[in-house]
Amino acid sequence: MDGARSELGPDDQVIVDLVPMVRKVVGSRIRDPHLVDDLVQETLVRVMAAHSRVEGDTMAPYAAVTARNVVASYARRNDRARARAHLLAHGDIDSSERPGDSLLRQEDRSIVAAALARLPAAERDILVAHEVNGDDTRTLAATRDTTPGAVAAQLARIRAKMRVEYLLVKENLEPPTDRCRAVLRALSAGDRRRQRELDTGAHLLECDCCALVSAGLLDRWSASSSDDEMRVPVARDADVVTARQTGRQVAARLGFSPTDSTLIATAISEIARNIVKFAERGEIVISHVSTGGSDGISIVARDVGPGIPALEQAMRDGYSTYRGLGLGLPGARRLMDEFDVVTEVGKGTTVSMTKWHSARRRPGDNEN
Amino acid sequence: MPSPELPGTSEPLRVSILTQGQFLIVSIHTALDDTQMTRLQEDLIEQVGRQRSRGIIVDVSTLDVLDSFATRTLTQLAHVARLRGAETVVVGISPEVAIAMVQLSLQMSFVHTALDLEEGLQRLGELTGALDEAAFLGTRSRG
Ligand SMILES: [Zn+2]
Repeated sequence: MDGARSELGPDDQVIVDLVPMVRKVVGSRIRDPHLVDDLVQETLVRVMAAHSRVEGDTMAPYAAVTARNVVASYARRNDRARARAHLLAHGDIDSSERPGDSLLRQEDRSIVAAALARLPAAERDILVAHEVNGDDTRTLAATRDTTPGAVAAQLARIRAKMRVEYLLVKENLEPPTDRCRAVLRALSAGDRRRQRELDTGAHLLECDCCALVSAGLLDRWSASSSDDEMRVPVARDADVVTARQTGRQVAARLGFSPTDSTLIATAISEIARNIVKFAERGEIVISHVSTGGSDGISIVARDVGPGIPALEQAMRDGYSTYRGLGLGLPGARRLMDEFDVVTEVGKGTTVSMTKWHSARRRPGDNEN
Repeated sequence: MPSPELPGTSEPLRVSILTQGQFLIVSIHTALDDTQMTRLQEDLIEQVGRQRSRGIIVDVSTLDVLDSFATRTLTQLAHVARLRGAETVVVGISPEVAIAMVQLSLQMSFVHTALDLEEGLQRLGELTGALDEAAFLGTRSRG
């Protein structure tokens, strides 16, 4: 760079000031430090070449775009970016993709190609334009007569779709139902609202294909979902202990008192045991809930199993639980603030319960 | 003396059972699942018969919850033990666990409770008429 710097005019400080930012843009996409140096220099050379044509206060964004394009063209030269399209980071589209990040095995490339081929042409084009050619959302928006925000949202949806298709190709699976792809895309996108609408949890329990594929999708989200949502599969005795201990940890983290945490853990123990005793398999999802200024913990237990034929009786027979006749449902209900059971004979049961922070109990609620 | 493994398990011991004279003192080291709870119950019933114990103390202070199953298991243990001539005292129920048990309307029939091990031993002594200090030291022979 010394030679290049000597050619700079009085504005060279502007370029020097750009170095840390350019290094950051490149460094976030490339791991190899020597390669980072090379690409930073290549970027700066291009920025300097364009210096006279670019306004001073647009130098920084121009340099950032150039840096991304340099990285992208490097990746294209190495024919790697295409293979990695499905793995590119979700979320912050403009800062977190890493086209030249790492090497990929040959077989993976053919899977990616097959998955890409399953996307509609328009979606494939925009994905490739962004991920492979390095076109930014503003450029893509301009040529499509839309806004960068809309393009970003569309790219996120396409990526979510792409991950699903990639995993389906990889596992050589054809989804057995019409709902499967919608469910998998909602999971892939991390779209909680859509997941609730589709009741994805229930679908995963009864659909082996989606259960398998979702393992690959949920891995991606474990880091972001573990803070306020925990899932515990329940099939055997030991899982009951895991579920209630997980519940206690989440409750404590959400600020529940030791007493309330114990009540929550006990309620989880009761309903998790029902799954082990009466159902084939199930899961317990523990999450933070917040509505209208009140704050609490939500426990949802779902299972695939025979369902509860006499629900009213099962709920009423509270005092028989310790004699071994009850289902633990009435007991769990007494420990929580809200309690709801939906059961379908021959299909399964979903128990949803909530405990609110007592300090922030919802107005009008009675403690009993 | 520390008990060997619970029957049917090759896992590390989650429970230790000490014999002190005519009493069995049970310490649970970690949360137990239902199978482990049942195994403990069976093992204790067997040992009460074999060792002709007059009392059992179960320290549950490390159990994370006492839910309907755990309570039922302890109740059954106490019932069977009584039929074989032994009393059962559960010690170490934490305030949180006690509150949960009350809210669940769980009762432990046949089971006596005491705050801690010391009080539990005293209670067993009263219940079995073996008030003698020596019983606690394991030096007193029966009869
Ligand atoms: Zn499916």
